[in-house]
This record gives sequence, C-alpha cells and structure tokens, in this order.
Amino acid sequence: MRISITETTAGRIAGGRFAVRVAPEQWLSLVVVAAGFAGWELITLLRLVPPDLLPGPGAVAATFFDILRNGYRETTLSQDIFATLYRCGAGFLLACVTGVPLGLLMGYRAKIGSALDPIVQFMRPLPPLSYLVLLILWLGTGNASKIALLFLSAFPIIVSSAMAGVRSVRIQKLQVARSLGANEWQVFRFVILPSALPMIFTGARIALAVAFSTVVAAELMAATDGLGWMVFSASHFLRNDIIIMAVLLLGLLGMLLNSLVLVIDKGVIHWRGVE
Amino acid sequence: MRTWLGAHWPALLVFGVVAGAWTVVTQFDLVRDLFLPGPGLVGAALLDLLNNGYKSRSLWAHAGLSLERVFGGFITGALVGTLLGLGMGYSRKVEAVFSPYIEFLRPLPQLSYLVLLIVWFGIGEISQVLLLFLTALPVSAVAAMDGVKSTSVQRVQVARTLGATDWQIFRHVVLPSALPEIFTGARLAIGVVYATLIAAEIIAGSTGLGWMILDAGRFLRSDYVFVGIILIGLMGLALDRLLLAAERRVVHWAGKA
Amino acid sequence: MGDMIAIRRRRALQAVGAGLALPFLSTGRARAKAPEQLRVAFFVETKPTMIAKGEGWFDQMTGAKIQWSEAGSGAEVNTGIAAGSFDIGLAIGSSGTAAGLSQGLPYELIGMVDNIGPAEDMVVRKTANIHSPADFKGKKVATPFGSTSHFRLLGFLAVNKLTQADVTVLDMTPNAMVAAWHRGDIDAGYVWAPAKSKLLEEGGVSYPTYKELDAAGYVIADLIVATKAFSQEYPDAVVGFLKAYGRALALWQDKPDDAAQIVAKQAGVTADVAKRDMEEYDFVPQKDQISSAWLGTPGQPGKFTEVLKRTADFLVQQKSIRSAPALAAFQKGTNTEFLQRAVSG
Repeated sequence: MRISITETTAGRIAGGRFAVRVAPEQWLSLVVVAAGFAGWELITLLRLVPPDLLPGPGAVAATFFDILRNGYRETTLSQDIFATLYRCGAGFLLACVTGVPLGLLMGYRAKIGSALDPIVQFMRPLPPLSYLVLLILWLGTGNASKIALLFLSAFPIIVSSAMAGVRSVRIQKLQVARSLGANEWQVFRFVILPSALPMIFTGARIALAVAFSTVVAAELMAATDGLGWMVFSASHFLRNDIIIMAVLLLGLLGMLLNSLVLVIDKGVIHWRGVE
Repeated sequence: MRTWLGAHWPALLVFGVVAGAWTVVTQFDLVRDLFLPGPGLVGAALLDLLNNGYKSRSLWAHAGLSLERVFGGFITGALVGTLLGLGMGYSRKVEAVFSPYIEFLRPLPQLSYLVLLIVWFGIGEISQVLLLFLTALPVSAVAAMDGVKSTSVQRVQVARTLGATDWQIFRHVVLPSALPEIFTGARLAIGVVYATLIAAEIIAGSTGLGWMILDAGRFLRSDYVFVGIILIGLMGLALDRLLLAAERRVVHWAGKA
Repeated sequence: MGDMIAIRRRRALQAVGAGLALPFLSTGRARAKAPEQLRVAFFVETKPTMIAKGEGWFDQMTGAKIQWSEAGSGAEVNTGIAAGSFDIGLAIGSSGTAAGLSQGLPYELIGMVDNIGPAEDMVVRKTANIHSPADFKGKKVATPFGSTSHFRLLGFLAVNKLTQADVTVLDMTPNAMVAAWHRGDIDAGYVWAPAKSKLLEEGGVSYPTYKELDAAGYVIADLIVATKAFSQEYPDAVVGFLKAYGRALALWQDKPDDAAQIVAKQAGVTADVAKRDMEEYDFVPQKDQISSAWLGTPGQPGKFTEVLKRTADFLVQQKSIRSAPALAAFQKGTNTEFLQRAVSG
C-alpha cells in the first residue's frame, strides 16, 4: 500500500489549502474520457454504424440543447430529471431507513438473522421487471408503484450489507469491550456500529447504483415523465439521439449520486483503513 | 435431524407464516387471482409448465438457458471486475484510467443501452451475456477496490519494514484483508446479474425464465409470473448459498483476524 | 406566447361549456354532470387521435380535465385499468382488448380507432429470397410479442401450416428490430411504422399478408375501451370523447394535409411521414363502426365481436391467457350505446 501512504503524506503536506490543484491522476481520467468521446466521434465519422442507429456526439449535443430549450413531449428536461431523481431518491432512502436497522438487528441477533435472511436473499436476485406488473396492479400507475419497485431493488442489498457488517466485527474486540464492562448498547454503539459502517456504506453505494439502474425499468410502464420514460417514448419513434442523450444524462446523474454518498462516507467513516 | 431443525427453525417459522398468509388471503378471495394467484393456482401453473413447457420449450430448457447466461455473465464479469478492482485499489493510475467508465457504467440502466448492444453484437447469446457481464463487472470492481483500500495502513507499513516485497505485501497483507469484500462483491454481483436477467432476455426473446416472466406478464398471467419469480428467487438463493459456503472455506479469518 | 393564448382560449371554451351544462345540472339529472378528471392511457402515434388530443377536443367535448398517460403496449393499458388507474384506454389493440375482456377486466369496448389493415404487415429482406410461405422455413422473423402484429404473424403461420419449429419467431421491440435488421440478424419483421418504413428503406420488401389474413378471420384493429365505473357515472363524457375522435376522423377525411400537419407536430415527425403512415390505416368512420360489419348496434352485435372471440381463443392456445369466455361475453363487453349517440349527433 505504498500509494495510500504517499497519498496521506501528500494530504498532510498540502494541508488542504492546495486541495483544488488537479492531481495528475485526474488529468489521466480526463484524457481517458476525452479518448472515449474521440472514439465515438470517429465511429460516426467513419460511418461504421449508420447515424440513426448511433448518432455522433454533435447530433446528441444538438438534441440535448433542443430538449433543454423546448422540452420533450410536454415535459421540460429539468422536470424529467427531477422526476427520476425523486423516484430513485425516495426508493433508496426508504430502503436505507428500513434496511439498515433491520440488517443490524439481523446481524446482531442470530435467530432473527436466520429467520429473515432466506427471504432477503430470495428477494435479492429477483428481476425488478418480474414484479413490476404486480406492483402496478397493487399500487396503481402513479409514483407509489415506481418508488416501491426501486425500494425493493435497493432494500435486500442494504439489509445484506448491514448484516454482513455486523458479522464481520472481530470477536476479540467484542470480548475486550465486554470484559471492560461495556453494556450491550455501548458494545453496539462503540464497537459494532463503527466496524459495520464501512460495509454499510459500500452496500449503500451499490444499492444506490442498483436502484438507479432500475429507474428506467420503473418508468417502463405508464409513466408520464422521467428520463427512463423518455428512453421508451423516444424508442417508439426510433429516436436514438434522444435515447443516447438520456443514457448519458442517466450515467452522469448516477455518478453524481455516487460521489455524494462517497463524500458522506469520507465524512462519516474517517477510520476506514486506519484501525 | 434435530440439530438441523434447531438451526433452521426461525427460517421455517417465517416461511410457514408467509405461506399461511398467502393461502388465507387468496383462499378467502380477499384479492383477485389476477392480482395475487393462490398457492393452488401457482402449483397448477408449475405442473402445467413442467408437463407442457412454455411456448415451445420445456421449463427446464428455459431455466437452463437462463442459468447459462447468468453463469456466463457472472463468472466473466466478476473475474475481470475483481482483477480490475484490485488494480484500481493498488494503483492510483489504474484507478484514474478505469474509474470514469466503471462509475459511469455502474448506475447505468441496462435497459437504456440494449439497442446499442444489438447494433454492435447482434441478437445472439453474446449480447445477452455481455449485458450481464457489464452488470457484474462494476459491482465486483468497486468491491475489490474498496477491499484493497480498507487494508490497514499500519499492517502494510509493518510488512514493509520487515522487508516484504510488493508482491508479498499484496499476497499476504492486501489480498487477505480484501477477500471478504471481494466475496461480498461477488454475492452482490450474482444478485445484480440475476436481477438483470429479464433485461438481457428482452434482447431477442423466446427463451429463458426472464423472458417467460415478461411474456406472461403481458397478459397478466400472474400464475406463470409467480412460478417464474419463485424459480428465479430459489435459483438465486442457491447460488448465493454456494458462494457463501465458498467464502467460509476461503475466508476463514473474517471477523477473527 | 401562442400556447398561452391557446390555453386561455381553451379555458374560455370550457367556461362556456360549463355554462351550457348548468341548466341540465339544475334539472338534477346525474348523467349531465361532467367528470372532474378523466384518466386516459394513450399511444403517441401518427393517427387522428393525436389531432383530437393536440387540439384539446377531448378535453372540450368531455368537459373534463384529462390526465394523459403514455402507454407503450396494450398490456400496460390493461394493467393500469386493472389497477384502477385509467378510465379510458385509447387505441388499445384488439388482442389486448380480447385478453382484457376474457380476464374480466372492468371495461367495455366503446369504439374503434382504426382497422389496422396493411399498416402492420410483413417486411422481408430482399436477399432472403422469400416469395412463398414455404420460403419462411428456417428463417428468423421478429415481432413485438403480445401485439396485434404478433397475433397476425402467428395467424400467418397457422394459415400456412407452419409451426414455430419451422420458423424462429423472436420477441423484439421495434427499435431493437431495426438494429438487428441492420446487422442482418433477422430475415423478416412483422411490425408497424416507423420501424416498418425503416426495414423497407434498408433492403426490405413488403410481403403483404393482411388481405389473406383478414379473410381468414385474423382481423386486427385499434379500439377504445372505457371502464364501466366511469361510463355509467359519466355517459355524456364518454359520448363527448367519441365525438371528439369523430371530429378528428372527419378532419383527416376532409383535409388530410391539415390533419397530417397537426399529427406530425404531436408525434414529432414530418408531415409527409405522418401522412404516409396514416394512409396505411383504414380509419373506419364512426357511422360505419356501428354497422354489422364491425361493432354493430345495441342489441345487434356486429361481426367484430366474433373476431374478438377468435382472438381470445387463439391467445388461450398460446397460453397467453388462461381461458376465453363464450362469444356472448364479448358481445356483452361491446357497448355501442355511446357510439350510437355520438354518431346521431
């Protein structure tokens, strides 16, 4: 782990004041992304794929500005982005609020864990599209069924990671804490939770990504706005420029959400890799 | 037998409660069978599918094809993803090169780029497995990277002062502490791959459990949908247990070190 | 700005409409009341439905504020209606309707949008050398499953004594079909515009099947369904809805170029494309819809109910639905009362 060490040393020397300076690694990332775009442009320039199947970056950018200005089928772009973010955020947060306590409990109390784990593990591999129809039947075509779908896709992952986090706590630590006279709450608060948190955050990031990648499925049926809806609506008229624009926006939004969780992760779990 | 029961009674109890509630709710017509088919209907649908298959293929053929796709996508995706993740955790340069794409790909809805896959790779198995590969890869990569990064700095320093080479540090310090997260990542990846199965089988359907569920759902055949859901859930559960058993064998030090 | 004025004008018209409705309301007849909201599932497509929607005729003539939900398939319309989220399904295909009526979904067939005719038909790749039904053996044909196209493609196989062991039938969305066609992965497609036009542009030729299949009873149509709960509560709104569509049909009949302009704007295509697409459909005038050839009149169900029955039986064979009721159920599920009132003025 030479790299980590130099990183922390550099961080100490910089003292945070020079943190805005672009690191060489970030330049590398930029170059790689630029190369990706150049490759895309090249593919369309050389007409390796007909432009209506894979429109070039220019065409997609033009579509983006057009939709930014004029909206898409009676919705504005910001409305679509917000609708998608809202569904994803609501489903994900609901899954966190319910999944983390449940997972902690399941990790902490073996009986509860073994009782509920099969159900959670059964839910985890279920394709959201498989129960989308059922959710619409039960909850209607509004936001409730869509949020429920995203909740169900994130929930098992969060529960599993919280449970795994608790179970990964070192036994010695527990024993030491107990022998020092810590009560159950203290053991939980000062030993189990700090050890479990890194895994919970990793799980939350994965769950967020999964929920986000499910958002298009959620908007597959009976939606009237959202980026996923835009993808399907555009696909009926073979508008691949709109589809690619929406895909890029979805990817970027997903990255943004992920880095948001990462920032929180860094702020909360300062002990990751230190203990 | 008694010990087995002793270990599993909570799960059995929950299973009993769920099955009981399901029976009661449907038996007394509290919901229409369009909304929630009862155990009887689902059982009949299962028998029907076992005997007659679904649309010119047997149920086993559909399940087998799905399993092949899942395995194909999972094994390749988890392997490449883990290697990539180890590299990304180990070197900032490797991370800088791959992370924009990994981070972009990870939350990207598979349904949204289906058509592009067809454009490039056609409607055969390649596209379907590739979609699952692309789903598993970022999950495994991030888990492996996080695993490497969570290695304790002190331990690396100790190993280094003791004169360990880079490879020895990787093999004896970094890898052991990353393995639990790698396994967690693998289990997550198989879940996500299964969850993407329908999206993959949309590509040019007529085979696979995912496609069967989708096709049956079109006409609200909830009984077939339930059979499909239960089969996928059980297959996923079995694979997850398999991975868990492997994890216990390989990572016997988790929670002890 | 233009939109603002249009909205204001629409509001003004609605206010006038409400004023006219007042005398009826005061007589205390429940049927004169206008619904507060009307939830309609619709398809964005190049059809006169888009005229009535875009010009606000549906809102005006039902007196309701319509909540539009874009559907991608008949299955979605059925699911939404079963869930109680839609009141009217506009332009749901006949196979979806037959399935819904068989499953006892709480709706009735109240009118037609079109007889699909040649608008959905087979396109074969020139180089695939398909000239007769027997040439389809060993070929790959794609269609979106569950659609009217799928139903007619299976009809084509049945009529020509081909099985799905002879022909590989693939489930693909129209967009995926275009991509696969471009790569040469499929030999034929059974689909509608705009995918159909794309296949024709890229080395495809039409292989007309619709006449033969229509004669054999595999008629496909796009229909209008309304939930019984809504139509019993607001019969006038249902009549108004059909009248609004009748007005759009008349515009297409009388001034096709103007009609195409409006449709094009709504669907996001050029006017030429809209016109070309619409010319493929047989938009049956509403007075003909109540003839015996189609839906018939109250008490005298037309021949189309038999088509629905046959469609449902076929779906049972396909395992798409569990069982199909007798013909009488489809006749009962077709309520032409509103259509008759709409036509008579």
